[in-house]
Amino acid sequence: MKDLARLRTPIKESVELALNQQIQMEMVSSSRYLAMAGWCDRNGFDYSAGFFYKQSEEEREHAMKFFHYLNDQGATSISPEIPPVQQEFDTLRSIYEGALEQEIAVTDSINRIVAICRRESDFVTEELLKWYIKEQMEEEYIARRCIELFGQIPADQIFELDKQLSEVSYDGNAFE
Amino acid sequence: MLVSDLPNSYQEVFKTSRGAVYQCDASNRLILAFWDTFTPMSSRDFAQFRRMVDTVDVRQMALSTDAADDVEILTPPRSERCYVLTLCEVIHLRELLGGAQAMLDLNSLLRECGCRLS
Repeated sequence: MKDLARLRTPIKESVELALNQQIQMEMVSSSRYLAMAGWCDRNGFDYSAGFFYKQSEEEREHAMKFFHYLNDQGATSISPEIPPVQQEFDTLRSIYEGALEQEIAVTDSINRIVAICRRESDFVTEELLKWYIKEQMEEEYIARRCIELFGQIPADQIFELDKQLSEVSYDGNAFE
Repeated sequence: MLVSDLPNSYQEVFKTSRGAVYQCDASNRLILAFWDTFTPMSSRDFAQFRRMVDTVDVRQMALSTDAADDVEILTPPRSERCYVLTLCEVIHLRELLGGAQAMLDLNSLLRECGCRLS
């Protein structure tokens, strides 16, 4: 008897389910960053607004990478439902703290999918996930460094703080 | 189509007292026999329909007194057939599709081990 599922796709159902959940997570992250960008924009933090608009775009790109991958492999990608996200925030600092928590949640989720891939011997998807692991290492670094800046730049220099926050990037190359 | 008229290419995957799932290697289709109807589906559509059946909120159907919750209407992907299912029928269909999936998984496992079912 033919193995019809394998003829259709090399991706096991558990991996397909996990990747679709990840697509939703990335899209929710994108929506949250967009809300953060909007709050920064209307409260005069132009640099941080630009930073979060860019983050929002990046998260959507991450989701689309999975979306295309599933379709290309013959699996089914699902356009996710996005629940309402928080639109108002107390302070600029609370936004950056929220961003770090979000990145940690995404990292944990990616790690869980790697474990599923290993259980299912899906080495192709695991290879794809290596890119995400590196990306998450950088994202977490940036979010942590931003929060450190709140302790290093006095609160009365808010314009300088806003500018410095938007310029944080990861220059190291731990994987080479 | 009567069960006795099934084409030779149909291989039984799983059967319950309420229906059966067959596989046709000639057309690469899975055939759901339920309610005396035969619905051929691709492997992808079969997986999607199974998920549709699995996600029916049977608790809501059991507890709600609303007439709208008495039945669940499901249409398999890319099919003109429409199933109007009572709570019991949803459970029966779940059992049938779940059992068929377990057999298909077993077939995959055997293939990976280098075995092959005739």
